[in-house]
Amino acid sequence: MITVLRTMIFREIQEHKVAFIYAPFFVSIVLCIVIASVYLGGTSIQTEQFNFSTDFFDDEARQAMQQVSSISRIDIVRAGLLVLGFPILLTIGFGLLAYSLSTFADERKDRSLIFWRSLPVSDLTTVLSKVLLVVLVVPLMVIPHIILLQLVAMISASIFFTSNDIVSFDWLWGSYILTDWFRIVFSLWAQALWSLPLFVWLMLAGTYATRPIAGAIIPPVVLIVLERIIFKTNTVLEFIENRVGFWSRADSFPKEYNEIRVVDISDIFLLFSSQAFWIGIFASMVLIACIVYVRSSNSDQTID
Amino acid sequence: MSSEVVINASNIRKLYDGSYALDGIDLEVRQGQITGLIGPNGAGKSTFLQCVLGLIRTEGNLEVLGLDPRKERHKLLKEVCSITDVAVLPKWMTVNQLLQYMNGVHPGFNLEKCISILSRTNIKQTSKIKVLSRGMVVQLHLSIVMAIDAKILVLDEPTLGLDLVYRKDFYSQLIEDYYEGDKTILISTHQVEEIEGVLSDAVFMNQGRIVMKDSIESINKRFLELRPHQSNLDQARSLNPIHERMELGREVMLFEDVDSQKLSELGDVRPPFIADLFMAIMESSQKGGQE
Repeated sequence: MITVLRTMIFREIQEHKVAFIYAPFFVSIVLCIVIASVYLGGTSIQTEQFNFSTDFFDDEARQAMQQVSSISRIDIVRAGLLVLGFPILLTIGFGLLAYSLSTFADERKDRSLIFWRSLPVSDLTTVLSKVLLVVLVVPLMVIPHIILLQLVAMISASIFFTSNDIVSFDWLWGSYILTDWFRIVFSLWAQALWSLPLFVWLMLAGTYATRPIAGAIIPPVVLIVLERIIFKTNTVLEFIENRVGFWSRADSFPKEYNEIRVVDISDIFLLFSSQAFWIGIFASMVLIACIVYVRSSNSDQTID
Repeated sequence: MSSEVVINASNIRKLYDGSYALDGIDLEVRQGQITGLIGPNGAGKSTFLQCVLGLIRTEGNLEVLGLDPRKERHKLLKEVCSITDVAVLPKWMTVNQLLQYMNGVHPGFNLEKCISILSRTNIKQTSKIKVLSRGMVVQLHLSIVMAIDAKILVLDEPTLGLDLVYRKDFYSQLIEDYYEGDKTILISTHQVEEIEGVLSDAVFMNQGRIVMKDSIESINKRFLELRPHQSNLDQARSLNPIHERMELGREVMLFEDVDSQKLSELGDVRPPFIADLFMAIMESSQKGGQE
């Protein structure tokens, strides 16, 4: 069973290598180049809401950095690295949404469904392999990119800070917690589980609908409108909005974050103890059962 | 026949859009048989094969290798291989990726054997499936199926759309690699003449029903085709042929259960081609129905 699942997941990665390998790799390489260029003085990124430039480090900033407590230092470094990693997370996020929508639709479109279903693999195993890819494997695949990005950022920043006498080498690297890598993995796993109802809904749309995009959008929109007209509530809309966003920022999450920061491991346990999380898991299981049923009924073959 | 029954279907019915695609199919297939399902479009051949593979739900009782195909499909497919359509292999994969995948998911797949079969073709392992010709894709599919140690092989129009060369290659490869005593093949095709030398049994189907089923050996004993000499025409007709047709200006008559010695005195006698027999049986059953 493990070998079968491993083979199937590997096949999914091969098929969707653009979404899961090439795109995040490209984004992380571009980000590394940009980060290195900024710290080495080649360029700067300044918008109304975002300032990533060496101009920021004037005397005032230098003084503030030198005086800041060690705990705050860690928070600053973590927040900075977190922001730098966002583009990779967004790329993977879009990749996962596109994958979820297309994975069952494509096999119907190119008729390879007929071949896959001629093999001794149950529909449940097939669906589970795709869900495991989304929940377990893809978050792990993000980590090398995040690590590369963080290391490039840390090395570039250290060179800039030490050569300009802003803070010591130790200031920066002493605040860089290697165990954060694991925290990011756990956080991404929690995020995948939190957003799982969306992913499996998209998979179901790809399984049943002739036009998967319409099949994914129309039923929720109809539900939202009907709920609004009949009950004057927005439960479905809020459910979707919450699942699109970060789990730690959901309305139902018992802790409130005001600033951008990496969540604590204890927050994951908080998430697991929340009712909203389990409602999402239950909804996902129901949708997975629907996918298995619809796929097993999809005899996409001519009747002779 | 003492060999084990591997497919046992009784009263199989399948309703599609208000009409029966299968209407009370009773069929027993024994181990080692190479059974041809022969019939026109809409006869129910593919539907029946899909039932055998557990791909569609049906009424009636169906057991394949003692398993219920619908409920135990993935267990059954460890022992049953199929080519149910041409060119359904995933186009994005390379040949090698496909072989590795098969090796990972199919417990009966023999990678070395498959590579050895493929080495006899022009298919490169590094090639993407989408660049292979239709014939090569079928060759690849067949090579994969041949490398699986399965008890039953189900082929549904396996050579549809292929040119003559590939069709000949397909069947010679099939005979060469798969024709072993204990393996069972269930095959449906329109090109009956290409497989009749391979078949051990034939099942004639029309409109969801089995019109006739028998072994080729028995068919060759039961049915004889006579090209009577012009002077013996009336005498031949008096033996009640089940079908008559003209071929190259000569009368051809089909007889059932008539002594071959008696027929050979009237003209040239030989066993009928399966396709001709099928046409004759269909025409005579239609005439019978009209009368």
